Amino acid sequence: MDDAEPQMAKKQKERLAAKSAQAPGTNQRTYTIPDHRLEKPSITIRQVRKAGKVSYEVTGDLSATVPPIRESRYLSKKQCIEIYRWMLLNRKMETALENLYKQGKVVGGVYFGLGQEACSCASAYALHKDEWMGPLIRNQGSTLVRGFSPRDIMMQYMAKAGSPTRGRDASSHFGDIKDRNVVAPISTLGDLLPVLAGVALGARLQGRNIAVMTYIGDGGQSTGVTYEGLNFAAVQDLGLVLFVENNLWAYSTPADMQFRVKDLAERAISYGIPGVIVDGTDACQVYDAAHEACERARRGQGPTLIEAKMMRMKGHAIHDAADYVPKPLFEYWRKRDPIARFENFLLNVKKWLTPTENRELIAGVDQQLEADRDFAVASPMPEPESAAGGVYCEHGCHEIKPKYAIPKARKGSVASPGGTEAAVHLK
Amino acid sequence: MPQLTYLEAIRQGIWEEMERDPTVFCLGEDIGIYGGAFKVTDGFIDRFGPERVIDTPIAESAIVGAAFGASLTGMRPVVEFQFMDFIGCAFNQIVNMVAKAHYRWGAPAPLVIRGPSGGNVHGGPFHSQNPEMWFVHAPGLKVVCPASAYDAKGLIKAAIRDNNPVIFFEHKYLYRRTKEEVPAEDYIVPLGKARIAREGRDLSIITYAAMVHTALEAAETLSREGIDLEIVDLRTLAPLDREAIVATLRKTGKVIILHEHARTGGLAGEIAAIINEDAFNHLDGPIVRIAAQDSPVPFSPPQEEYFLPQVSDVLREARRLRAY
Repeated sequence: MDDAEPQMAKKQKERLAAKSAQAPGTNQRTYTIPDHRLEKPSITIRQVRKAGKVSYEVTGDLSATVPPIRESRYLSKKQCIEIYRWMLLNRKMETALENLYKQGKVVGGVYFGLGQEACSCASAYALHKDEWMGPLIRNQGSTLVRGFSPRDIMMQYMAKAGSPTRGRDASSHFGDIKDRNVVAPISTLGDLLPVLAGVALGARLQGRNIAVMTYIGDGGQSTGVTYEGLNFAAVQDLGLVLFVENNLWAYSTPADMQFRVKDLAERAISYGIPGVIVDGTDACQVYDAAHEACERARRGQGPTLIEAKMMRMKGHAIHDAADYVPKPLFEYWRKRDPIARFENFLLNVKKWLTPTENRELIAGVDQQLEADRDFAVASPMPEPESAAGGVYCEHGCHEIKPKYAIPKARKGSVASPGGTEAAVHLK
Repeated sequence: MPQLTYLEAIRQGIWEEMERDPTVFCLGEDIGIYGGAFKVTDGFIDRFGPERVIDTPIAESAIVGAAFGASLTGMRPVVEFQFMDFIGCAFNQIVNMVAKAHYRWGAPAPLVIRGPSGGNVHGGPFHSQNPEMWFVHAPGLKVVCPASAYDAKGLIKAAIRDNNPVIFFEHKYLYRRTKEEVPAEDYIVPLGKARIAREGRDLSIITYAAMVHTALEAAETLSREGIDLEIVDLRTLAPLDREAIVATLRKTGKVIILHEHARTGGLAGEIAAIINEDAFNHLDGPIVRIAAQDSPVPFSPPQEEYFLPQVSDVLREARRLRAY
């Protein structure tokens, strides 16, 4: 314990040295934000008034050709194919949910991660089984990777008795502290950040440096708790891997109206942590950044902010037709579909999948979804009385015990607390 | 048995729990080397180390969120709020993230959020509030408000051992003013159970925290007039001890509810409704409320005295009610 403070100071010094380099002969410090993208589109969206009507107008080069997938420094053939399958399951499950909605079987709305499947699936794939993840509404793919099944998610949307929350909450609002280590999100944004940081804190007190992952959008990052949570993780060197999913639209408000920095990854500089930019439609880039951030976390080196750039390819939820999004923007990003790009990479670039194998893989996903959909549809609604109870944890419903190990309590020689008079004026 | 102040009793209670259970740890603003604004955690960092006595940034949402996250891994965090007035900063984390977790997704949150509340110390609108009712109205939380040193120690230990989120309001007026014999050994006072602070037969006062002492002072004067007050100290506001409320009413038939927080939407209204539901036939007079006025807590001493319920208010209302 006595050496704890000098060590902390040393670590801090090293971190600062690593991140800021002083240009010779000047007082200006320079910071670097690695940008792994193979294209760097310069597109702006702004409000314009035309013929008395205000709408969004997009400017910039929308004709650029689609870049290739950047080859992963870490992923094997088998892992790439697994991630590809998760992405397919993610998308096709959401299509199934859309159909269930149209059939009137869904209670409430449906939320989509269309266009963001690479970001959800390849990021969560970088976590170890005993690490933790907190999803947002568009990260249903992440919950699949963590071990929830499409039927779990379908039952959530249909408010069924067998849903992970037994009908008590909707959509992606479920979690599991026992096996899958998923923290259930709440509707307000940014609140998962300090919670995941706290999970890492709890693990560290039990002798483990773990990676914990959560997400925030270009809209959600505007909240105060986002700052509080990431700053807390930074100060405490907690292994929070934060994906800032810049999907250009916060409900109907474009990213250009949320912040003034050029890239949200720049925010990392102000927290004193590494920031990275990746193409959110490139599964390999997403995975590599996630993997490196997780490894840092496991070494006890603290949080990383990863900005993944892409576009939300549907409205905020199923009720929202996203008419406010300029059409050329959809066309631009449709060409950058994460699944089509990854499929092309696996089939044509790497030749890791033959067309037949690909068809079989897709058929397997369809089969799984069909079975899960049938199961979910046939499962019962909850009994009305099941709304009661469970407000408190009582009567031994849960045993509270350390998840990783009994914390090693190191005690100083002082045998009793102090008794200083409070130096406050309120007596 | 050693004499301990209310503050020392809380300090000893947390200390003992940290000695007993390595999953208990503290986090908050200025709680380490400084020992907390009111010195509740004085000396803790030397004994338990900076790992278990964590000084945090000024970020109440992060503090509560981190405590919740740690509790998900089986830890038992004890959060200090420098003043309970600042709990508004963490309101969303507490009522939406923490309070609902067990009901929504079966995640227990064995954490304690503790700190000084209450007035009569001339702290003004941001250092004197009693925000307990904000949380009584949020299902999933337990709300504890001790009035004595003995209870403060027993309740903080029970709160730390409880598997639910507990908001623990320490009345700062009592910190160094109340002192009594407190056992040095391990004991707990169960959450959710009221106590009879004074036995009596004519009239009941239901109250908690600093107002227990106001009621006790009034009871001395009234006893000389032949009015025998029974004083019920609720100790826990959520869950509320309905049985104790009904039992005292059955005994005396007359009740005054006394609290330091604002009258409208206050606890007295809820207790009046409980009496109406469970013990209406035993009523022998109107249910009387004595509460703070519906305003922020004013700063200047004469104004604060006007704002807060006084012994004279209890005397007046007790005499009036006795006449029924």
